[in-house]
Amino acid sequence: MKVARARAEQFGGIVELSRPRALLHVDRQMMRELGYPESPLWQQPEGPLSAPTEVHLVLSRRCAAGCRGCYVDATPQGAALSREEACRILDELAAMGVFHVALGGGEALELDHLFAVAEHARAVGITPNLTTSGLGLDERTAERCKVFGQINVSVDGVGDAYRAARGFDGFPHAERALRLLRAVKREVGINCVVSRSSFEGIGEVARLVRRLNLNELELLRFKPVGRGARLDEELTPEQAKRLWPMARRLVFRHRIRVKLDCSFAPMVFWHKPSARAAAFFGVQGCVAGDVLAAVQPEGQFTGCSFLSSGEDSFRLREKWPTAFAAIRGYVRTAPEPCASCEYLHLCRGGCRAVSRAHGALLDPDPGCPRVQEHRARRPLPVLAQ
Amino acid sequence: MKLFRRGRVLQATFGCNPNSSSLGVDVTFLLFGSICASMIALFLGALLRGEQK
Repeated sequence: MKVARARAEQFGGIVELSRPRALLHVDRQMMRELGYPESPLWQQPEGPLSAPTEVHLVLSRRCAAGCRGCYVDATPQGAALSREEACRILDELAAMGVFHVALGGGEALELDHLFAVAEHARAVGITPNLTTSGLGLDERTAERCKVFGQINVSVDGVGDAYRAARGFDGFPHAERALRLLRAVKREVGINCVVSRSSFEGIGEVARLVRRLNLNELELLRFKPVGRGARLDEELTPEQAKRLWPMARRLVFRHRIRVKLDCSFAPMVFWHKPSARAAAFFGVQGCVAGDVLAAVQPEGQFTGCSFLSSGEDSFRLREKWPTAFAAIRGYVRTAPEPCASCEYLHLCRGGCRAVSRAHGALLDPDPGCPRVQEHRARRPLPVLAQ
Repeated sequence: MKLFRRGRVLQATFGCNPNSSSLGVDVTFLLFGSICASMIALFLGALLRGEQK
């Protein structure tokens, strides 16, 4: 075990391990035992983290692929952060104590300065991670990708299912990219968007993870934002209930590591897993503006990359303590059926981006099975004669 | 007499999240429930102290 660094928090601190790669929340006593000094934060009342642990750097809205459901509405001429802007933001994040950045877009590999940005992240003590479509990735580029921590290639289906999900035949390119990356590093996985039409093909993607000896399958919920807002691809109520049993089955059947994105929290908690285990392993719903923040290609920082209104990225440190009050306050102000849900503190009302896409940022997540059951029980309004 | 309470690991997330749109959380360990969480917390706590020594 190797401790890379740590930072103080109100509850104690967060310790980053480089081997095995992990972030540990520890109490104040453990921080003392590890030799860290008393922190003024330990006298403060409970609140959001002093800084996000992870920031999503949406480097550009530039991508030639033109996927039909692209959530950032990327185009070949989309906006992009310059190398200088990205490095300045990384300096700001390092000063705050951010541990990881996830670089994406758009297609980050289309940017000439991607590797310079990743190397700068390493230089200031932040682990850079990457999401890519893998299109155009060659052996030389794969070799340079060693600078990243984890790299996931987007694969929403195998063979024809890829074309159906993305609108073009990119599967052979994605598979080649996975093989090239896996040849140079171990931390290579797949990001797979789970939509209404891709749901039944997820098992094939899990088989691919096993066959290529990848280290994780990350399942992402389809969200009706960007170009995806025009598609009718959200999970059906029945699929939403089947999601967690399916993830469990994939773990046992294929003996692979499965990750679910934060927006799937309501679908997991509906099955009433151990709340203690969920809290310990960090399984939770919307962590935007707390554990997580995003920087948009236009320069503003937001709670997550799906939320558009935000603040100036270059003043992130100054704005962080008071930003995102509405999202952070959801647990205190949640309406029914979230208010009476035993998992509210973990689930935090599901995904704010999905709620906003359906009408209001602070509504309960409409994809949650509990919310759907609650709404089905609600009496219909009486129409005036 | 004041009892000495040892420090604790409160939460553990493994690996790095590469996805730039949302936070991916490993649910593999969740399948094994709270006993697994308690054991991993104790194990990590002991390793951390060992590292410090």
